[in-house]
Amino acid sequence: MAAPGAGVRLGGEFMRKVKPIFSSNEAEARQRVISLYKAWYRQIPYIVHEFDIPKSVRQCREKLKEEFVKNKDLKDVRIIDAKVIKGQMDLVETKKMWRQKHHVMNYFQDTRNKQPTDFLSKFYAGRE
Amino acid sequence: MTRCIQCTRCIRFASEVAGVDDLGTTGRGGDMQVGTYVEKMFASELSGNVIDICPVGALTSKPYAFTARPWETRKIESIDVLDAIGSNIVVTTRTGEVMRILPRMNEDINEEWISDKTRFAYDGLKRQRLTFPMVKDADGQLVPCDWEDALLVVSQKVKAAGGKVAAVAGGLCDAEALTAMKDLLNCLGSEAVCTEEIFPCDDMTGTDFRSNYLLNSTIARVEEADQILLVGTNPRFEAPLLNARIRKGWIHNEADVALIGKKVDLTYDYKHLGESGDILKELSVGKHPFWKTLQKATRPVVIVGSGILQRSDGPIILALAQALAEKLRQSSQGCTDVLTTTEIRLWCCTMDAMATVESNWRVLNVLHRVASQVAALDLGYKPGVDVIRKHPPKVLFLLGADENALTKQDIPKDTTVVYIGHHGDKGVEMADIVLPGAAYTEKQGTYVNTEGRAQQTLVAVTPPGMAREDWKIIRALSEIIGLRLPYETLKEVRERMREISPTLTRYGNAEEANYFKQALQLAQSLKGSLAPDSLSPRLLTLKDFYMTDSISRSSRIMARCVQAATQAMQSKY
Repeated sequence: MAAPGAGVRLGGEFMRKVKPIFSSNEAEARQRVISLYKAWYRQIPYIVHEFDIPKSVRQCREKLKEEFVKNKDLKDVRIIDAKVIKGQMDLVETKKMWRQKHHVMNYFQDTRNKQPTDFLSKFYAGRE
Repeated sequence: MTRCIQCTRCIRFASEVAGVDDLGTTGRGGDMQVGTYVEKMFASELSGNVIDICPVGALTSKPYAFTARPWETRKIESIDVLDAIGSNIVVTTRTGEVMRILPRMNEDINEEWISDKTRFAYDGLKRQRLTFPMVKDADGQLVPCDWEDALLVVSQKVKAAGGKVAAVAGGLCDAEALTAMKDLLNCLGSEAVCTEEIFPCDDMTGTDFRSNYLLNSTIARVEEADQILLVGTNPRFEAPLLNARIRKGWIHNEADVALIGKKVDLTYDYKHLGESGDILKELSVGKHPFWKTLQKATRPVVIVGSGILQRSDGPIILALAQALAEKLRQSSQGCTDVLTTTEIRLWCCTMDAMATVESNWRVLNVLHRVASQVAALDLGYKPGVDVIRKHPPKVLFLLGADENALTKQDIPKDTTVVYIGHHGDKGVEMADIVLPGAAYTEKQGTYVNTEGRAQQTLVAVTPPGMAREDWKIIRALSEIIGLRLPYETLKEVRERMREISPTLTRYGNAEEANYFKQALQLAQSLKGSLAPDSLSPRLLTLKDFYMTDSISRSSRIMARCVQAATQAMQSKY
């Protein structure tokens, strides 16, 4: 944990003690993630209905899972907490209709063209 | 109204550097005018430099004047490729087009000057450009298509050729493209990679020793020479800045110049020894009366034009020049008894220092005419297209080859010609497939000048339309053929170039070449005789100078220069 904090002697080794955001350990952070997931999961039918997006409930739930799975490798509890806070804010914004249709559709990136990655497609696209 | 303040800088440039005493003043006091006295052109290949010299902007560049403001342009430091000198330039661009080209100071190469072709031929970069890949259809018409289609057609032809593939590289190719081309052909099992420019290359003379094809004494040190022998070259138009150096040595260092070849105006006095190659032969065995003069030189220089080495007796001429150079090198080191007063002074002051100077002094020089030749020879290209004539290929790649070294008559009818390059010039006329490449202002490419100094151009503007950097085209083609070349980025290509020859990536350095003695030993076993024709270079007068390659041939400004030079020759003044 690279975040700054007070240094303490712990079992003869120098350890950095980090001030937590919410969760004091990984289990607690995991619990928060799961509750956020559930909250979104329950909200999705309403989102589909209220925003009138051209996606089904199932597609949205798949996308939800995808968005969470993107962060599966995060280990730092503080970063997990920060992500959870951000997710919570997004959920509130969506629920209160502070967002608009295209904000929600932005999760799907339907119209974005993929950047070419290999030499040949970069060559055809005329990009570096 | 004129802005001229009569500082006479332009007049002094004309008479001292350019060597053309056409500019002068008329009138006195407030009525003084700078001009050419009569209706006459300032007929010099370095005339554009008076624009840079003029402190007040009374002399402006005709094509550039009032087209852009300096603060709204981007300046990119680059290299010129229209001759083999590799002048350092600044490419000024705005809104994706080249606005002007200015010299950049480099004391080792161009000092602060550039030639008119370098400066003014940039409008050729906007004309006759290839912007789409093209493939010939059933009616024999070149039809624009996608890169995918064009590369697919080429790959099918190459696969069907079964190793019967050949490539010809023209004079404006960068070393990256040359490397990729050679690697691809070698992967396909072909060794027929040639340059369009011929150079003697058999077992005896030629390209195995680097010293055989470089301007060994370097451009900067030519001005230290005390005796310069030009063989079959007209440096004034083949390499104007080398000529300016020779003139500098002639003025300030009292260098004597002698010429074997057609009598031309070099802007300085020289001793014309004759036109025949026999003179060179007599000199190399010490029989010619001029040998006595040459022998006294402490820093002699022999400059052979690559133009005359392209004849059938080219190897003999090169071998004779080698023999003469070696003889001169020995005599210049051993002749302490014929020192002039300056030398005696030098001798007394720094005896040790001087001795080392002389043992490092290089006599043999080859002056190339095109920018890509030295890099191509370093990479192991075969000079000349004889190999292709003898073994006709199924697929022929023309890498910017526009000088008609090969014509439709030289190759079988069923040969597919693939042109990779930037201009729709002579090469495209015979092409079946056209792949548009980038010109020197549009790519980051390595060029090795005639002294063996690697330098790189930088990207000033993007290639037009669907044109791509040349080495990338070859790399993409290799992937479609199924022989993926092991590099994807410029850095990786340059790593590959470094593997082949480390000199290619040591930017700014002119690596010394040695083995003159060994080269000479090989050359002495050469059999053959000299052809009787005169050692005449191709560029004789100013009008020949302006249009020599695909860029300058499509330049309108250059065309008008040719017109003006032709009129000036007919003028009664």
